[in-house]
Formats: sequence, structure tokens, C-alpha cells
Amino acid sequence: MTTQDRPELVLERAIQPDSKKHTVNDEVYVLHCHHYATLYTQLAEDARSIADGPAILVEATADTYRHIFDHYFADHDITDVGDRAAIVEQLFAAGGLGQLSFTGVTPEGGAVTMEHSHLDEGWIKKWGKRSEPVNYITAGIIAGAFGSFYDVPNDSFVVEEVESIVAGAENSRFTVRKA
Amino acid sequence: MPIDREEVILHMSKVQVAANRDGLIPAFGVFVNQMPAAFWNNFASRLVSRVDPDVLPAAEFLLVNCAHECGYHTGFGIITSEEWNAIVAPYVANVEDVLHGAFAVLTAWGWADAEIAELVPGERMVVRTKAYYEADEGEAGDSGRPSAYMLRGVCAAFMDLAYGGEYDPTGASGLRTFQCEQTKGIECGDEYGEFVVTRAED
Repeated sequence: MTTQDRPELVLERAIQPDSKKHTVNDEVYVLHCHHYATLYTQLAEDARSIADGPAILVEATADTYRHIFDHYFADHDITDVGDRAAIVEQLFAAGGLGQLSFTGVTPEGGAVTMEHSHLDEGWIKKWGKRSEPVNYITAGIIAGAFGSFYDVPNDSFVVEEVESIVAGAENSRFTVRKA
Repeated sequence: MPIDREEVILHMSKVQVAANRDGLIPAFGVFVNQMPAAFWNNFASRLVSRVDPDVLPAAEFLLVNCAHECGYHTGFGIITSEEWNAIVAPYVANVEDVLHGAFAVLTAWGWADAEIAELVPGERMVVRTKAYYEADEGEAGDSGRPSAYMLRGVCAAFMDLAYGGEYDPTGASGLRTFQCEQTKGIECGDEYGEFVVTRAED
């Protein structure tokens, strides 16, 4: 998807004088590292049997980013789905999460390719490769994105990671289909 | 000279990390991410609210451990960084100064407005914070239990770095020399958050 005719992401950064919290577009953001993100992910997997941790991680991510996307699209009057996808790609990269490319986006679903991944590359850096996908966080972001693209609940789409950098693939790939 | 906390906060708050062309932020020896605070809070609060009460302590321990390990490795990266050497190191004369500087950086980068209230070198530290993002989940005073898991882990990690021996990138030694309990929380209705760090064998 070319960004030549697509809107450019606008980020307004500020620091709250009283609390010292950092904000991006009036939302509190924090810096963390791949150790934290991978350990959170591992924790979710460890909690699979007691609370379906991976599902909670996807859900929490989707809800958080859905809020971000909805507000951004409304504030900047972005209605075209292609433009919305371009903004999500740029937000993803600006957060240091890697490179996403949305393709074939329709109300029935689409596909997302990830050429670089904070989570996968951080996992490899920390623990080495593994055979199963690990990027619940990106799956959640994609679910929230599709929900926001079409103004439907986040669980309207099923996101599946079918290829993974953490497993040795050159790129990660997600399929998205209507639930 | 002692750490000039306000100067450190002023200058370190201006440090920006930006993604490279791959959408990644390699800095301080790690990959850095910048995500909404609500994401970290949402997962933690949903997890602890959905596990059975008998496994809640284990879930909370794991949440703290995430930050303990992160704080140890990334903390080491920060206190050995060019930014630290330029802004904080001129004030550092001893290990205790490193600790005070680390909490000034913690404040500058928006994790928590936190200061050391008491310090027994090598043994015990009390940190108090009047604002921290982990208190933002829900309304202040709503939570029935302290839930600043990240701060607990980071406070213990900073003591590990200060008094736990030489930094070990494998985490096999040094890390978890200390432990931290949260004794007050804004999320519980207290005026501030309070974190007490002691040796793990205590």
C-alpha cells in the first residue's frame, strides 16, 4: 500500500506539568522495553489455563488501540479505510512496534504483513526462536484496527498469525476474517 | 555534589527516542516501545480480576517479575547510556547518587513522580510517589488492593543494580537480590504510593 496519497500521522507530544506524565495526542504513553513486552506475553501464556491469558492480552490491546484509532480518525476526519490503515501503520511504527502493511482490506477481512516486529525480534533477542506465534499484542492491534475501520465491535473479526518472524519467517503474516 | 533532581528531570525529559526506518527503537541496549499506559494497565487489571483468588498472588508475583527483570536490564542500559553520562553522571559520587539519579530519570520519563524517602545502603529503601500511571486504572481509591506492579518491580531492580553485585546480563545473579512490597497506593485511596524494598532473604 503506497503512502504517497495517504495522510501523514500527526503526533502532538506533551508532558503534564504536575504529574510529569508524557502524553501523545492527549493520551498518556509510556516507554518500556522488549523485556517487559515479552515477559508480559510470556505471563499471558503462563496464565492460559487459569484465565485464558492470551485472549486477555489480545482483548486488552484491541480495546486500548481501538480507543486511540477512533479518536484519531474522528479528530482528523479520516473516513477512507485506506487512509485509516495508513494511519495505523504509521502509529504502529512510531511506537517502535515494527512495520505493518495492510492489504486487501474489506468489510470481510484482509491480510497484514509485518516486516519488522518489536515483539518477535525482542523475543529472539531474549530467548531465541520458537515454533509458535507469540505476537498477541499485534493481533490485538489489528483486531482493534479492523473494528475501527468499519465501526464494529473488536471481536467482529478473527485475527490469526499464520507466519511468524519468531519462528524464522522473513515476515510475520496475519489473516483477518469476519467472525 | 548531590543529585540536582530538578535539573536531571528537566534535561532527561527532553530526551526523545524515535523509531528507525524499520519501525523499531533500539536504545539503551534494548528495543524500546512507546505504548499507551492504558494497555499495560488494562491487561494487568483484567488478569487479576479474572483469576481465581487462590492463584491471584501468583499472578501478581508474575506481573511484578516482568518489571523486575525489565528494570534490571533496561535500568543498567540507562545508567550506562550516553544520556546518563551527559546529564546525570556529573552529579554522581557514589552508589546512592546513582539511585537518586535513577529515580529522577523514572520521573523525567513519565513512569512515576517518585523519590527515595529513606535509604539504608545495601539493606532497605522506601520510595514514595505522588503520581504514577499505574494508579490511573479506574478511579483513585477504587482498587481494593495495591496494584502498582511495575513500580514494585522497578524499585527492587534498582536496588539490585546498586547493591546486588556486578551487572549480570543473564540475570542469573544480582537480579532478585531485593524484593519490594507496596504499602500505600493512590489506587487504594492513599495520598501517595509507597514502596518498601528489602533483601529477598529477609
